[in-house]
Amino acid sequence: MTDTAEEVRTISYTLTVNGIERTVEDNKPLLRYLRDDLKLYSVKDGCSEGACGTCTIVVDGFAVKACVLTTERAAGKNIITVEGLSLREKEAFVYAFGTAGSVQCGFCIPGMVMAGKALIDRNPDPTEEDIKKAIRGNVCRCTGYKKIINGIRRAAAILRGEVEIKPISQFTGKMMPEQNEFISVVGSGYDPGRASGIANYENRGSSSQYGMGQNVFRIDVRKKVLGYGKYPDDIGPEYFVPADRPDLIMEQTGWTQEEYDAAAAEGRLEPGKTICRKDEPLCNICTIVDPDMPPMAYCSAVRSEYPRAIVKKIHKEKAESLPGVLGVLTAEDVPHNKVGHIQQDWDVMIAEGDITRMTGDAICLVVAESPYILEAAKKAVKVEYEPLEPVRNIAEAKAEGAPLIHESGNLCQQRHVVRGDAAKALAESAFTVTSSFSTPFTEHAFLEPECAVSFPYGDGVKILSTDQGAYDTRHETSIMFGWEDTPERIVVENQLIGGGFGGKEDVTTQHLSALAAVKFHRPVKMKFSRSESLRVHPKRHAMEGTFTLGCDENGILTGLDCEINFDTGAYASLCGPVLERACTHSVGPYNYHNTDIRGFGYYTNNPPAGAFRGFGVCQSQFALESLMNVLAKKVGISPWEIRYRNAIEPGLELPNGQIADVSTALKETLVAVKPYFDDAPEDRVGIACAMKNAGVGVGLPDKGRARIEVENGLVWIFTAASDIGQGCQTVFIQDVSQATGLPITKIWIGVSNTENAPNSGTTSGSRQTLVTGEAVRGAALLLKKAMDEEGVTEETLDRLNGRKFEYEYFEPTDRLGSDKPHPKSHIAYGYATNVAVLDAEGRVTDIYAAFDAGKVVNPLSMSGQIEGGVLMSMGYALTESWPLRDCVPTARYGTLGLLRSTDIPDLHAIHVEKDKLLDASYGAKGVGEITSIPAAPAIAGAYYAKDGVLRTKLPIENTFYSKKKK
Amino acid sequence: MAKRIRKISYVRCRGGSPLLEGIDRASLPGNCSEILQLFPNGINKCRYGCLGGGSCEAACHLAAIRVEDGGPPVIDREKCVGCGLCVRVCPQNLIEIILPDRNIQPKCSSRDTGKAARDACGNSCITCRICEKVCPAEAIHIEDGRPVIDPAECICCGMCAVKCPRGVIRDSNGIMTVD
Repeated sequence: MTDTAEEVRTISYTLTVNGIERTVEDNKPLLRYLRDDLKLYSVKDGCSEGACGTCTIVVDGFAVKACVLTTERAAGKNIITVEGLSLREKEAFVYAFGTAGSVQCGFCIPGMVMAGKALIDRNPDPTEEDIKKAIRGNVCRCTGYKKIINGIRRAAAILRGEVEIKPISQFTGKMMPEQNEFISVVGSGYDPGRASGIANYENRGSSSQYGMGQNVFRIDVRKKVLGYGKYPDDIGPEYFVPADRPDLIMEQTGWTQEEYDAAAAEGRLEPGKTICRKDEPLCNICTIVDPDMPPMAYCSAVRSEYPRAIVKKIHKEKAESLPGVLGVLTAEDVPHNKVGHIQQDWDVMIAEGDITRMTGDAICLVVAESPYILEAAKKAVKVEYEPLEPVRNIAEAKAEGAPLIHESGNLCQQRHVVRGDAAKALAESAFTVTSSFSTPFTEHAFLEPECAVSFPYGDGVKILSTDQGAYDTRHETSIMFGWEDTPERIVVENQLIGGGFGGKEDVTTQHLSALAAVKFHRPVKMKFSRSESLRVHPKRHAMEGTFTLGCDENGILTGLDCEINFDTGAYASLCGPVLERACTHSVGPYNYHNTDIRGFGYYTNNPPAGAFRGFGVCQSQFALESLMNVLAKKVGISPWEIRYRNAIEPGLELPNGQIADVSTALKETLVAVKPYFDDAPEDRVGIACAMKNAGVGVGLPDKGRARIEVENGLVWIFTAASDIGQGCQTVFIQDVSQATGLPITKIWIGVSNTENAPNSGTTSGSRQTLVTGEAVRGAALLLKKAMDEEGVTEETLDRLNGRKFEYEYFEPTDRLGSDKPHPKSHIAYGYATNVAVLDAEGRVTDIYAAFDAGKVVNPLSMSGQIEGGVLMSMGYALTESWPLRDCVPTARYGTLGLLRSTDIPDLHAIHVEKDKLLDASYGAKGVGEITSIPAAPAIAGAYYAKDGVLRTKLPIENTFYSKKKK
Repeated sequence: MAKRIRKISYVRCRGGSPLLEGIDRASLPGNCSEILQLFPNGINKCRYGCLGGGSCEAACHLAAIRVEDGGPPVIDREKCVGCGLCVRVCPQNLIEIILPDRNIQPKCSSRDTGKAARDACGNSCITCRICEKVCPAEAIHIEDGRPVIDPAECICCGMCAVKCPRGVIRDSNGIMTVD
């Protein structure tokens, strides 16, 4: 019916976007139109199913999710994105969110800004409750919402004219009352008054007080709030500009002819060169490619329908014959078909004749000219399977005659940690308690799904990535290409990273997009859909464990015996180290020395498990802390008292034999929360302590490396250390400021890139602030020495142009099972105590969260880490789940049980800083991981206090929160 | 002190079901309970919908609810205070008290399913369950032949409203659906 077809073509929809009238001919999700056609990249694509809120825009005055609305339904409407805010609104939100510490990974932020704008337009003076309701549809996984709520409130105050945007050079007073995050600080060396100035990076103020302990305006605030910072998905086809198209280069950069000529003369326009924004050398605009390079293509994997099935035949001919399909790659096209973060057991693709191990397994990789053709081609691929019975859980994996998931057997990893004589100590104990615990898989639920863009580069490939370690990604990808001897053929460059929490340590999209880019010799983007992200990346391990803990009649701990079983799913990922941390930390931060800890990690056909904030310790310390409460009851002392009596102190021996160092401040965290514990009704309060290593430790070569260069009178820091939102790049700038006395206006930091930044290890194990921080400090002290020797000041830095200062930090540790009497397993440990308070209905009203992280580098940032980690831990305790039906995940992003803004309790971040600190990194120990450990057992403890029922399963049952679920 | 939370009435029927044969709208009493006494199976093809007698309008002290041309009633969202008087007088139980910021709401109370529902009214829920499938929060479910939203789970994204083939689920902000 040709006339109907013509009629269809004449339909068009007219809408106004940021003040410009637009006409669109297709009916599609508004999100796709705004991003793909209009290049409005502030509108983030976090799930495309209405659950996350990252694509929130304002339509006719209402906050709306762009993925839900269609161009058809948007016809005639007035649409505003962050790009279309007035200059005044933009500045208000940048300043408010920067000074309130609202920005971490930043992926939810443009959506939060627009939800905030819609609210403020209607209600210029919103209350906290109003704001919570307005952002209820917007998930943030980093901040715990508190600082975003503060940020929107402050933006409203600025827009009402009640709060002034102050250049920081004028800002000398104390922070506004609601901005004062410290409710108590223990330790003699800390003066909150000193931590009052906000260093506004952007206003280029003249003060030099940006060092340790200052509330520094994070360097990534502006680009994240205004949405022009690039995550890999914000790289569209226009990003790659052929070298023979000066018109396109000038359009992208906004250069004049003279600026273009100057850049060309300096050789900055050669193929392979990346061009940054004029006003911000940290924000890439485009990359120059060979004139004959075809435009960016898209790839996606067809994934297994069954957790365990023989792949009989892959029918790819029909897909390959579709116009616009470049090809369908299978295992045969992969030079070496195995990757893996530590153990290379993960098939890049499952070959014909092989057996799948999970539903997330890639069977083949479809590469096409457009995302639309790609989806059609994926559907055209038919795979014949012979389904087999899957291995569903640890019991089935251990069973005799169980199918082997890997040739090496179903036992992936095991550890045995012994000191003293646990059996004897427990037998002689006045009180013992034994219980089995079970904790679930947990999904990281970072807001930014995995995405990578790769393109041919030199004699290899460059990967623009979002991950937790550029060098790790290079290493894993080099194994796949068989380039282990020449890994430098692969260049990995981190873009902005929209959250990680451990879930972006393994390669997911990076290696596959690189494979396609090399195969078809053109740029290729690979982006996970949200459901693919949920299926593929490793989760927090599910645990089944049995713990026996004993104490004497005074509540002094005597011994621990435990067996920890982890379900590591289809692949090892980081099973070894995670299991090891679970075992070594299962003893808790207490002073006793008889332990027998057996840990096992089993393969099953579930999605893989690996690193997740807390790194195994969330599971084992939940069990231990729960048993502490039972013992306290038996002894007849309070849960606070039993912890204080056993708490580790400097000079005492930790249960692993390591001597607790001078910075150890567990007792101080207990003292810090005591008033809140004592004030709360006895039957509605719970308490838990935690310890967590900083740095990889256990004898591994965990090195921090940094290089400082002086260029055009500015100091540049180069270090490949991923800032996944925790703020380590700002920490490094503070390190340099502290060491040199330079203002942060003179200090810049390059992106994490394997071509020009030294390898400083993975963002894992709370190590960047400490390990890389010390490397940066070392390099900065070399710079300071040169400045002093040559009489160079802030004004005359030009005299050091071209000079480089490199530093490597490595403090050896002892391997697990070392026969030294006092092995040093880790270079540092952080400590914490949390108190959770319930109301009569069982709702968590307050969490008092005291953390010892050594030197507090940026108090505002540290509170943000604490609030976010604590809320994550509360979700782990009460609402989050990752249900599987015969190994197949059934949850969607919106049903994971993530806590929303209206669910949050009052989060009270307490910074504990001692006067005695470690020597490295100005005494900072890092706080990233430990924040997500103690709140869960503290909440479980509060419920135990309430009804006397020991909760042994997470999420805990029969609570105010389980009532809500049907 | 928390402010008293403002609530408003919401009518779960859009009208649209034709009058049964032989019914003369002009001769009906101006009170829904009386209509129902005369016609126990209702007056429309859909027996669950609004009878248009105006009992709710008569009950409202604030002139916040108006019934025109045989209903269903229109609520003045500015005037309504959610007192619940209209809820009590509706014999069809079509009115509910909701929070005004919960802008995504089902507007059908039919207990019929599938074809029967389709035949009875042009604006009816036909229990196709698309809303259940597309809801990212698993907040909407078909119960007794009509969609019911769990306010504790709903995030008001509007996906169900956009995907509903019958226009049953409405956006009172007028963005996802336009009245």
